[in-house]
Amino acid sequence: MITQKIIPMSMVPFFTLVKKEVKRFMKVIVQTVVSPIVSSFLYLLVFGVSLGNSVTLKSGVPYLAFLIPGLMVMGLINNAFQNSSSSIVTSKFSGDLEDIRVAPVTHNQIIWAMGFGGIIRGGMVALITGIVGSLFHLMQRGELLLITHPFWTLYFVITGGLIFAFCGIFVAFLAKTFDQLSAFSTFILLPLTYLGGVFISVENLHPVWQTISHFNPLFYLINGFRFSVLGVSDVDLTTSVIVTLIAVGITYSMAQIALKKGSFNRW
Amino acid sequence: MNALEIKNLKKTYIQNADKKVEALKGINFEIKQGEIFGLLGPNGAGKTTLINSITTLEKPTSGDIQVFGTSVLEKPLITKKQIGIVHQEVINTGFFDVLEILDFQSGYYGLANNKTRIEYLVKKLALDTHATKKIKQLSGGMKRRLMIAKALVHSPKLLLLDEPTAGVDVELRESLWAFVRELKNEGISVLLTTHYLEEAEALCDRIGIINKGELIFCGTPREVIAKYSTKKISLKTKDGKQHHFVDSASKELSEILQKNQISFADIIDIQITEGKLEEAFTKVVNL
Repeated sequence: MITQKIIPMSMVPFFTLVKKEVKRFMKVIVQTVVSPIVSSFLYLLVFGVSLGNSVTLKSGVPYLAFLIPGLMVMGLINNAFQNSSSSIVTSKFSGDLEDIRVAPVTHNQIIWAMGFGGIIRGGMVALITGIVGSLFHLMQRGELLLITHPFWTLYFVITGGLIFAFCGIFVAFLAKTFDQLSAFSTFILLPLTYLGGVFISVENLHPVWQTISHFNPLFYLINGFRFSVLGVSDVDLTTSVIVTLIAVGITYSMAQIALKKGSFNRW
Repeated sequence: MNALEIKNLKKTYIQNADKKVEALKGINFEIKQGEIFGLLGPNGAGKTTLINSITTLEKPTSGDIQVFGTSVLEKPLITKKQIGIVHQEVINTGFFDVLEILDFQSGYYGLANNKTRIEYLVKKLALDTHATKKIKQLSGGMKRRLMIAKALVHSPKLLLLDEPTAGVDVELRESLWAFVRELKNEGISVLLTTHYLEEAEALCDRIGIINKGELIFCGTPREVIAKYSTKKISLKTKDGKQHHFVDSASKELSEILQKNQISFADIIDIQITEGKLEEAFTKVVNL
């Protein structure tokens, strides 16, 4: 019988979970990556190109350029959320979540691995959306849309990916049915995204909605990301950085609670 | 040091304010190193709750579980490395093939490069020609073998088999029995739950019978048969008479003959049917 030495508290389980996450979504790439890119392409075509010419923003930024970072963030957060939540739910169905529970894998390793899985998938969708958007910009405005502050783009991809991957963990571990999972997407994630400034600047909203938007953490993420791409946004960078960091902390705590209170058992 | 010690283990499920279900009511037993211990009981007796408590899928209400002297409740990361588990239900992930599943399983246990062990198990469990197939492409028997390979990738010292042969054909069942005996010879301790009493009789050094959350018998299969089953004797004597006796399986033949005033010298034909574990089990759970 062959035996091996197991290194105590190694990082191998973490990297294994990340590898599994990436392999999983790459095996269904049409559903996980290509499909959101097609949606973004259509948004760019309909809103950015066709309707964009009739939209004037107070900041003077062309609407297509304004829309591209918004769609990139939308792709990032939706896919980060979908990745962790669907991974956990399908594992509950197949029963392999129990394998992780009975193995010497810590909650932190699970949470961060799911978080990185979300960043990778969400980041891929955001990057490709950005490339497609930039090509649209080239065709309409004669120049590629280049990123103004790449460091801050990376920062908001990481924090945005983590926030929504952690949200996915929270919902999927506590959910007992598919209905509960889709209710979160429909009644919380979707309104937050649309009212956070993906498609419109809050300056164009009624003052009441402007005030409400300031309580939406996505508003700061979207505007921080928009600042990193365009160099202008509705919110100053420092506020966006602080709010997104706080959101990472809160959603991480929610994920920890979900792993403690939620179920690893099969559905 | 025992491989496993269960100490006064209790598990109560609170269904609502008025209804509590005591799944385990103070279970005590131990498994010695290199021993195969069978846990028998009817459906809902508490077998899977007990297994789930050992693997941390369930949190006991009170009591303790020690694996090679370390408490599962206090240091689960240490005890988990010593345990391999074959769940009752087969996992059914549609994304990955056999080799990928075993690679991930190794990674969960901190083994980054476990190719040699995986190849050994895949060959040993006759999965080598199906190594690149996904689970849905495997037959029921192959899935069972994959579950066993998964449980063994990290070379555990204690193997938990939760009804490993449920729904498999006779040939595969016997090959799995042979494999479990090999594991015992390698020093691995085994906790086996099963509905097949002949499986427990053939494999287990000792058995525990659990019913309604209580361990009502613990000992060797011979002991339970002797205590709770009957011996049936049919014989023909020189005078041409047929005699049929039913007595406790623990009694010697000479004792039974003496009690019925029959001499050995008068017997011309005799048939003895020894007690079965099935009979003893039925009697114990209905006590």
